[in-house]
Amino acid sequence: MTTTNKTVIAPARDEAAGSTPQLKALLERSGTVVLPLVAVAVFLGLWQALSAAGLTGTLPGPLQVVQDVQPLIVGFFNNSENDVGVAWQLAASLQRVAIGYSLAAVVGVAVGILMGSMRPFQLALDPIFQVLRTIPPLAWLPIALAALSQANPSAIFVIFITAVWPIIINTAVGVRSTPQDYRNVASVLKLSKPTYFFEILLPSAASYIFTGLRIAVGLAWLAIVAAEMLTGGVGIGFFIWDSYNSSRMADIILAVLCVGVVGFVLDRTIYYAGRLLVASE
Amino acid sequence: MIQPFLELSYISKAFPTPKGPFVALKDVALKIRKGEFVALLGHSGCGKSTLLNIVAGLSQASAGGVILEGKETDQPGPDRMVVFQNYALLPWLTAYENVFLAVRSTMPGAPESERRSVAERYLALVGLAAKADKRPGEISGGQKQRVSIARALATRPKVLLLDEPFGALDALTREEMQEEVLKIWEADRTTVLMVTHEIDEAILMADRIVMMTNGPAATIGEVFEVPFARPRSRAEILEDPAYYTLRNRILAFLYDRFGEPVLAD
Amino acid sequence: MAFLEVQNAGKTFTARDGSLYEALKNVNLQIQQGEFVSIIGHSGCGKSTLLNLIAGLGLVTAGRVVVDGVAVSGPGPDRMVAFQNHSLLPWLTVRQNIALAVKAVHKQLDETARGRIVEEHLEMVNLRAAADKKPGQISGGMRQRVGIARALATRPKVLLLDEPFGALDALTRGRLQEQLLKIWEAHRLTVVMVTHDVEEALLLSDRIVMMSNGPAANVAEVMSVELPRPRTRMEVINNPHYYRQRNELLYFLNKAKKAAQGGPAKARPAATERCDLERTALAVGFVPLSDCAPLVIAQEKGFFARHGLQVTLSREPSWKAILEGLVEERLDAAQIVAPMAFAGMLGGAGVPLVASLDLTRNGNAVTLHRRYWDQGVRDREGFARLIKAGGEERRPVLGVVHRSSMHNLLLRDWLAGVGIDPERDVDLVVIPPPQMVANLQAGNIDGYCTGEPWNARAVHEGLGFVPATSLDLWSGHLEKVLGVREAWAAAHPKTHLALVGALIEACRYAADPAHREEVIRLVCAKQYVNADPAYAAMGLSGTYDRGFGAPERLEDFNRFDGWSANPTERLWILTQLARWGMVAFPTRWRTAVERVWRDEPAREACAQLGLAVPPEPVYRPLTLPGGDILDPDDPTGFIERFAIRQSDRTLNAV
Repeated sequence: MTTTNKTVIAPARDEAAGSTPQLKALLERSGTVVLPLVAVAVFLGLWQALSAAGLTGTLPGPLQVVQDVQPLIVGFFNNSENDVGVAWQLAASLQRVAIGYSLAAVVGVAVGILMGSMRPFQLALDPIFQVLRTIPPLAWLPIALAALSQANPSAIFVIFITAVWPIIINTAVGVRSTPQDYRNVASVLKLSKPTYFFEILLPSAASYIFTGLRIAVGLAWLAIVAAEMLTGGVGIGFFIWDSYNSSRMADIILAVLCVGVVGFVLDRTIYYAGRLLVASE
Repeated sequence: MIQPFLELSYISKAFPTPKGPFVALKDVALKIRKGEFVALLGHSGCGKSTLLNIVAGLSQASAGGVILEGKETDQPGPDRMVVFQNYALLPWLTAYENVFLAVRSTMPGAPESERRSVAERYLALVGLAAKADKRPGEISGGQKQRVSIARALATRPKVLLLDEPFGALDALTREEMQEEVLKIWEADRTTVLMVTHEIDEAILMADRIVMMTNGPAATIGEVFEVPFARPRSRAEILEDPAYYTLRNRILAFLYDRFGEPVLAD
Repeated sequence: MAFLEVQNAGKTFTARDGSLYEALKNVNLQIQQGEFVSIIGHSGCGKSTLLNLIAGLGLVTAGRVVVDGVAVSGPGPDRMVAFQNHSLLPWLTVRQNIALAVKAVHKQLDETARGRIVEEHLEMVNLRAAADKKPGQISGGMRQRVGIARALATRPKVLLLDEPFGALDALTRGRLQEQLLKIWEAHRLTVVMVTHDVEEALLLSDRIVMMSNGPAANVAEVMSVELPRPRTRMEVINNPHYYRQRNELLYFLNKAKKAAQGGPAKARPAATERCDLERTALAVGFVPLSDCAPLVIAQEKGFFARHGLQVTLSREPSWKAILEGLVEERLDAAQIVAPMAFAGMLGGAGVPLVASLDLTRNGNAVTLHRRYWDQGVRDREGFARLIKAGGEERRPVLGVVHRSSMHNLLLRDWLAGVGIDPERDVDLVVIPPPQMVANLQAGNIDGYCTGEPWNARAVHEGLGFVPATSLDLWSGHLEKVLGVREAWAAAHPKTHLALVGALIEACRYAADPAHREEVIRLVCAKQYVNADPAYAAMGLSGTYDRGFGAPERLEDFNRFDGWSANPTERLWILTQLARWGMVAFPTRWRTAVERVWRDEPAREACAQLGLAVPPEPVYRPLTLPGGDILDPDDPTGFIERFAIRQSDRTLNAV
């Protein structure tokens, strides 16, 4: 019932027979660490068993992978001409993402605010954007290559065009949903336009903007790997493609793991930045 | 006769709907003296908040208007400050910054130090000097309400508009806040128009209680003078025979005359 | 055994970290079949927990809950809960929601019988028109009605309501309360409702259970609602009991709130203890009436301070609150109505009190409604003629301030003196003094007996007239005394003596005609009686306007002087309490009176102050205004001579 649910106190009869509540509490807390580890172990075990039984084609088992990637790990930060380490591959990709994403953020927030606060812009642009945002990132690549005729700017453009939609749309929604209360405060106080923009509009939309930025960074990272596979040069996407062509399966697995970790870190970074900057009610 | 300080002159308000206009308020006429505390009492949905918004200038009357000190006014402005039902504090600003934002925009010419001292003084007035650096999310509902009142008072409005100011508080905090606001009001006697549906709140705080009939086409049904001397206290009012008479007349208005159970809804 | 019994029930919760929290302890409650009981209390007092124990949604950790002879061991359809958030299934229509519950509970019935039950309950809450709508399409109030209909349709033995209207606006709440009232009055289900709305509880309930604060909350008090059924809101608020009971509930909640905020609500300043007194900081209670003058003077003129006491005067809303304050040890002492000194014998809380100083005499008056004046009534004889003639719509309703007050005893004696039986010819209701005038004005009561300024106010506002003052009832009657707990007097003999000494001086000061203006000014002050001197002075000033045209000189209307000339007047109180069946007359009455009335503190204080020491009490025959004589050697004979009195049963009980 409502009132009892509000308390953190569990009814006494919930005590399982024999186990003290302290023990239960300990189990519950350690579960968040132990159980994922168990899941990973089971997965690796299964993979190893399947690979030992010869059911995974050319994909090596986990033990094999660990053995094969030793040189790569050793040379993680290598930076010679024909043996560029994984770290530098990642750095090259991140750099492209950084440029494309920053552009997307600036343009996206600006256009979003415009659309959110002025209805004509909203009416004019929204249908167009709704169509454009459904286009898969790689479909833009040929257009970009044709227009920019260079691989690197084209890849950046793909990042930009992928990341910009969620930012625009979320910003516009955020601006539009500024609570009427705050608008009332502003009008009763007769706040000046700049004060209204910086003190009320922007902070109020901030949580929406950060949601957009977070979605965008995930998409951008997805897009860069795919784009680099096509454009070549230095970059983690090309590294994976190159490894496949050279049948270095273990390398691919390591690179994919790295892509996952970096993607996760990017996502968390934006999340914490948002938490830091957006005041919670 | 002396010019009323604030006059609601035959205000009507209709909202367009697909089925034709919905008349929320009809011919609401009320004259309020300077320094008077008037409570608008009625059931929810009787349009009292709509009326308050029209006085604040946040909403426009379909007919009639608001006259403040002899001048018609239909735009919002800091001379009619609103304390909103759900406080409407900016969550990204601290308590002090919320008050300061109001001071800054209503005292544009004043030196920074003076503005700061005004903001600090009003925050202290509501007993929140110690919480100046807390954000709204870090303080209780009652404290948020105090910040909201400090913000309103700091602009030194001619009229203070309270929109169910204690509606979101639990019963105990509500009583405390009523007493506190009353104390503040008794000290500076700003003209107040308060919307409420709590009978005892209106009796405790107001000089006059304006009873709204139920909508649609709500209007003023009756006006009760509250005869208790100030400063008031809850306990003293309970000792006054006039309290019981007044309260029963209000209840009779609310439940007998305008509260016939509409069984089919 | 009652239909629903909570027997010594306790509930202890275990927190995640293993610590225990005892929410309820030793809760006892008996509920009869067909009774409507509400539970109120400060938030967090465990009232919802108690409801859950009855519902079986939580189980007791001590004691037990028995419904219809069966101990509760889990939830069941015999105890239906209508939840605060009405918990309807959003994808089913109103009818389907009710049908689902009916199907689950009445498995033995066939389809058509179940359908009938559903339709019947839809009709009951007037929701036929909305039967095919989904919960999302109807208003909150309607959803709540569906919730109640669903609960009722399962035909539970007990209906449990947890703040059923808490989330609704005032108007909808009011309408639903009235609807629930109608349904309940038609079907007489057993209902237990948790609420925080005092007026809702009064409107609906037979009894209201007040819970003390947690942890280890239990039942602090149970109030029987004295409002006749069938009820309607407007009738209820115009019943003379209504505001007294409402204020008692509010007073209880307020006390609980203060207790929750910071320990017990003791208004006691910290003080350096004077070495020869057991205690110097005292809380002394009074009811704001003109004759609280001795306490006001003792405070304002520094008599308390001169005797080394630091007194906080605590203004109490009613005599009930005064008695509670003494019993609960919130107050050290209080000015009490004289018969209240026998509280230890009167049942109820039953804590023995001691009356250690007679503070005031006279000071009361009877007010009757102006209507009687128009009908030619000027005195009690005229009132009696009017009653005997019949033709009145109802029996006259008269207010008294407390059952064990001089007002009650004097008014009864005054009426009985002209053949009006106070038990049969009129209705006597207990109403705190401040509510008298409002009730008279609203026509809820037709008259009352109380102190000033409440008679003066009625006269002043043209609402009534005063056919009799204390001087007509019994000139010089004992009125207010200083009351303390017997145990307190035993534990604080020196403080007690200082208190009595200060008040003796204050009484002498107040009795001096030269101080009249000052006394009026002080008594009318905001922190004391808080009244316009225009009426508060009536009586105190020696002038009294009975509403007969011109004010009269009544020098003795308020008296603050004089010792008991004849202690038999104390016995008189006891005979009257027995006459009206409030106590059994004790065979060893002298022991009973002397246990309560103590003369030694006053004698000792007078000796210390160099004043004339009052004489040793000697019980002599007492001649009463009507000419009756109370012979201390034959009090039962005195009681038996009354033609109008309560049954004989009480006379021989002890």
